[in-house]
Amino acid sequence: MNDGSARNGNYYDIDDILIEEELVPVVFHKSANGVKVDPSAEKDSVEEAVSISVPTCFNQKTRREIQADAANVDLRSRCPHFYEFGCKIAPIVGDRTIGKMLLSTFQMRYKEILTKAHTAAYTAASKFLKVLTNEETNLYAAAQSSMAAFKKWRIGGPRFQKASVLGRKRKPID
Amino acid sequence: MAGQSDPHISLFSPEEIEFMAEDELVEIVPNMRMDPLNFISGNFGPFYPQIPIKVPLWLAVALKKRGKCTIRPPQWMSIENLTQVLEGEREDQGAFQAVPFHYIEISRLLFDHARDDIPDIYMVRSLVEDIRDVRLHKVETNLEKFSATSAVKIAHLSAMEVNVVRPFVVRALQAFFKHDNPVLMGDLDTVSDGQPQVTRQRQVPNNAQRQPLKRR
Repeated sequence: MNDGSARNGNYYDIDDILIEEELVPVVFHKSANGVKVDPSAEKDSVEEAVSISVPTCFNQKTRREIQADAANVDLRSRCPHFYEFGCKIAPIVGDRTIGKMLLSTFQMRYKEILTKAHTAAYTAASKFLKVLTNEETNLYAAAQSSMAAFKKWRIGGPRFQKASVLGRKRKPID
Repeated sequence: MAGQSDPHISLFSPEEIEFMAEDELVEIVPNMRMDPLNFISGNFGPFYPQIPIKVPLWLAVALKKRGKCTIRPPQWMSIENLTQVLEGEREDQGAFQAVPFHYIEISRLLFDHARDDIPDIYMVRSLVEDIRDVRLHKVETNLEKFSATSAVKIAHLSAMEVNVVRPFVVRALQAFFKHDNPVLMGDLDTVSDGQPQVTRQRQVPNNAQRQPLKRR
């Protein structure tokens, strides 16, 4: 039930599949029992029968919390794929403010991710990680791994790595 | 980019950056006689005792390890210059001082392999480390100022500094690009302004709009 353009690029992306499993509140206009969605069906057939409302993770309450202090809102518990889900749901419910809200949310939250990734110790970070969405966790991991690699290099250590072949004993030739 | 150990997060390992830095030229003073060396990158030599010559850093380090030369520290690695750079970095929070592109790697290699050739090594070393820390902190503060852009320009960053922040910056900018782009957000003009919280039936898209989306 998604626009083809968004789906094509991430056909094999497990996250993309998981995002589409998010539940969305709908109102049926026609009575229906034991609905089965035929995967090959045209999407219009479903959309004529139901109207989709804005999911709870994009409601006014959440928005007000984000406006108050974006960095500390626990988005993970609301929706683990907050941003991607937002991108997918915005055209379906036809709510243009979602896009703007996502942008400003990300803008306010990414700084915290950067500074935490570069400085925080592991114990402090684990608490912080709990409120991040999946997209933000990826971002954190990326920043963190590059900084960790740099620190490791700076401290030094063994400069040469042995090829795995070299350690092995040769097989005796019969 | 070719040669990255982990292209998925677009990161060179620091060792790879160091490898690239080893192509930089440094001046050595050989203490032996040797015929010219012919490399893909050019010819170096012939080498005569006490006659300074420029060679790639890796060759300099290799010769130094065998006790065949002394390395002359580069011009910028003097206490006066480094002090000046450090002051400049501290004074001007917005801009970066022009330093050699591979200064972190070169100084590490020289500190490791040619410490007896660098005058005032303790002072030089701590200055370089200070400069590096100040600059890294500045990079971080600079990156906090993104605002809905899909490009960012910072002058005079060095190879290692760029590499450390690359995975983060690439992803953050991609996210900004995506959320800032009306087409990618599905903010099509045919969809009229809806208010939040309003349940509305979606218009059945007309054919003109659907056509590009269905192309595979």
